[in-house]
Amino acid sequence: MSETGTAVVRRGSARNWVRGQMRNIAPFATLIFLFAFFAAASDSFLTTANFSNILNQISITAIIAVGLTFVILCAEIDLSVAAIANVTGIAVAFFTLQESYVNIANLPLPGAFAIILALAICAVLGLVTAFGVTVIGIPSFIMTLAMMQIADGMSALFVRGQIAYAVPGPIQTLGAGTVLGVPWIVIMAALFLLVAHLVLTYTRFGRYVYMVGGNREAAEYSGVNVKFIIGAVMVIGALCSGVAGMLGVAYFGSAQQNEFTPYLLDAIAAVVVGGTSLFGGRGGIPNTIVGLLVLGVLNNGLDHVQIDPFLKVLIRGLILLAALIINVYAQKLRSQTEALGD
Amino acid sequence: MADGSDTPLLEMIGISKSFGGVQALRDVDFSLYPGEIHGLVGENGAGKSTTMKIIAGVHHDYEGVMKIDGKEVHFRSARDALDAGVGMVHQELSIVPDLTVAENVFLGAQPLTPLGTVDWKRMVRESREHLSRLGIAVDPRMTIGELPIGLQQLIEIARVLSSGARIIILDEPTSALSPPEVERLFAMLRKLKTEGKTFVFISHFLDDILNISDKVTIFRNGRKVLTSPVAEIDKRRVIENMIGAGHRELEESYTGEIRLDTKFDAPVVMVAEGLTVERAFKDVSLKVRAGEVLGIYGFMGSGQLELARALFGKIRAEGVISLEGKPIRLTRTSIARDEGIAFVPESRRAMLFHHEPLFKNMSISVLDRISKWLLKPSSERRIAEGHIQNLRIRTPGPNQLLGNLSGGNQQKVALAKWLTHEPKVLILSEPTRGMDVGAKEDVVRIVRGVRDKGIGVIVVSTEPETVLSLADRILVMKRGEIVREFAGDTVSKDRLLEAA
Repeated sequence: MSETGTAVVRRGSARNWVRGQMRNIAPFATLIFLFAFFAAASDSFLTTANFSNILNQISITAIIAVGLTFVILCAEIDLSVAAIANVTGIAVAFFTLQESYVNIANLPLPGAFAIILALAICAVLGLVTAFGVTVIGIPSFIMTLAMMQIADGMSALFVRGQIAYAVPGPIQTLGAGTVLGVPWIVIMAALFLLVAHLVLTYTRFGRYVYMVGGNREAAEYSGVNVKFIIGAVMVIGALCSGVAGMLGVAYFGSAQQNEFTPYLLDAIAAVVVGGTSLFGGRGGIPNTIVGLLVLGVLNNGLDHVQIDPFLKVLIRGLILLAALIINVYAQKLRSQTEALGD
Repeated sequence: MADGSDTPLLEMIGISKSFGGVQALRDVDFSLYPGEIHGLVGENGAGKSTTMKIIAGVHHDYEGVMKIDGKEVHFRSARDALDAGVGMVHQELSIVPDLTVAENVFLGAQPLTPLGTVDWKRMVRESREHLSRLGIAVDPRMTIGELPIGLQQLIEIARVLSSGARIIILDEPTSALSPPEVERLFAMLRKLKTEGKTFVFISHFLDDILNISDKVTIFRNGRKVLTSPVAEIDKRRVIENMIGAGHRELEESYTGEIRLDTKFDAPVVMVAEGLTVERAFKDVSLKVRAGEVLGIYGFMGSGQLELARALFGKIRAEGVISLEGKPIRLTRTSIARDEGIAFVPESRRAMLFHHEPLFKNMSISVLDRISKWLLKPSSERRIAEGHIQNLRIRTPGPNQLLGNLSGGNQQKVALAKWLTHEPKVLILSEPTRGMDVGAKEDVVRIVRGVRDKGIGVIVVSTEPETVLSLADRILVMKRGEIVREFAGDTVSKDRLLEAA
């Protein structure tokens, strides 16, 4: 992305630069505006404690959004992320010994096996999605809609309306523990974001993700195995969701149906609000981080100001709409700038 | 029949038309008499399509006078032209493939019931009557997309007729048809002619033109060269007039003999046997030798563009492809690339990343050879700088966005992608289309350089000049089959056109 900024543009270069960078500038400006607004409107918002609060609140969304960033960069979508998070979280609890009052016919296993089995479940679901999208050719929008139902159905069968509480020790630590006063879940989210950024920016695979998203046909004509790349991002999406699901169950302290439902919209919103193009090939993890912070500050800040609580959802919807408009508009601006250069 | 004594049904006097400073038509006179089939020939860009688009109301910004039935007209739109009885059937059919035959026949003019809903019964009945009157036996309730192309085309002609057209312009109607379908089309045209309908028949297929037309008009460089009754002209003279024989300097460049430097003893790198792709080409076999440029020439729609895609694994073909004696299964493009087959398609947009810098565009097809896991941008830039120098790409540097380059330079980038690690076979589709003379010469020089390194090169084109300027051996494709080979001898443009 840095090369885009330094490239020489023939006419009106400053203006064209702004036009080209619209998708990066707008989310950052939104973040600064929201931050300044809540800092001014509330005494309790601008405190260290609240800031770590925000980070805590966005961590699970962040891990899901990492996987979605790969998917959306390839111009695909994954609507099954929250359902897969849910089933993976439930699975890891299902394979863990529960207290005697939990009325679930579960299969207690040693912690390591429970974790591996849960990860295997989300990996298999991701592979099924990848197979449907690449080999059969089902659009990812529809394929993952079906996968959402499948994963939700599996969740229902595992817990049968009951609630499980215990998860393996390592998961309990990473989801709900702290180290030197820092929550492990924040460290995990930071780690996922960092590794994903390194993969997308510095590896061959990352380059292929951007190229496939930027122009799928051209990637195919360049001898890139496009189906493999698309299949791989769908599996990455499912694996990230699965990890988020396991940690989330520890974070919430319970495993039950439908507890991840709001994360679908949040994760998609974080990626898109951050400025990653819905048409693929543009954006990345830095954009997703800004998007996560915008959503985190907004959700948290609205709790700190005197506002009708029933208005919150509406406001979030409007912010998302504005981000979508900017996303599509930025794409048009870029196409126009390109046309000038042709 | 053509009858010179009648007043013309349509008359064009002194028509000129330019597109942004480029003169497409100069002072063209053209007359069409009732009940004739009038063939129109000329090379790409000679002006035949522009003339017809003026008649059909597509272009309305021209100089000169057009009359229908002796009255001056100036169409503002295709609708205007249709109201005056002029309809056009384009090469790309404008049927809606998912609708039924009946809906397509009545497209935009469905009969309605008194309630304002579509009168399906009447529509099916009338379209059945209409089609059977034209000798087309088809159930009007069938989805048109499931019918063969030839039948779809007849139905489109039927639609133009049902909308009241007296003059029907057919643009390359036979290019996608099999011989029996061509016969059926011609039978229908002859029948309609006796009913007083008038046709303009634009085609590259001179045999078809001479078979069906009463008169033929030849265009060259935006001018009408000649109108002659078909009975008084033969294929040889049509080609001479198309490419300008008689003007000595033009004759040099067009009918001049070009030596084909065919290397009969070089080792064969690629063999294709019995390749077939439904609706594109069938039973095509060919060999490519190391260090030769194999030109494949054919008119638009002859199947050579699809053949090039099949040889790169972009579309699946039945048949056997082998490389250096080993059969390979090209189920996807990455296999072709790994085996050492490279392909540059005719559309630059389809193969380049416009918002990415040059070096990423050039490295994409060899990334796995540059790095296993981690990218090495400095190596990528160095490779790109080498290509920029060797191929004389005009750009400030490898970080420049591809979209900022001119078309000719973009084409060189498309070639550069495949030259970092030499492929065994390089397939180029329309490598010089839309380029200026200087850029064309650069491409010829680059392709010759690639050939001299011992790479087998296939050049596929619909432009005879492209094939003639590059090839050491030429195959001619016609309606999905290879019909002629020119090797080890001389060839000229007129003989190439005659073969196709």
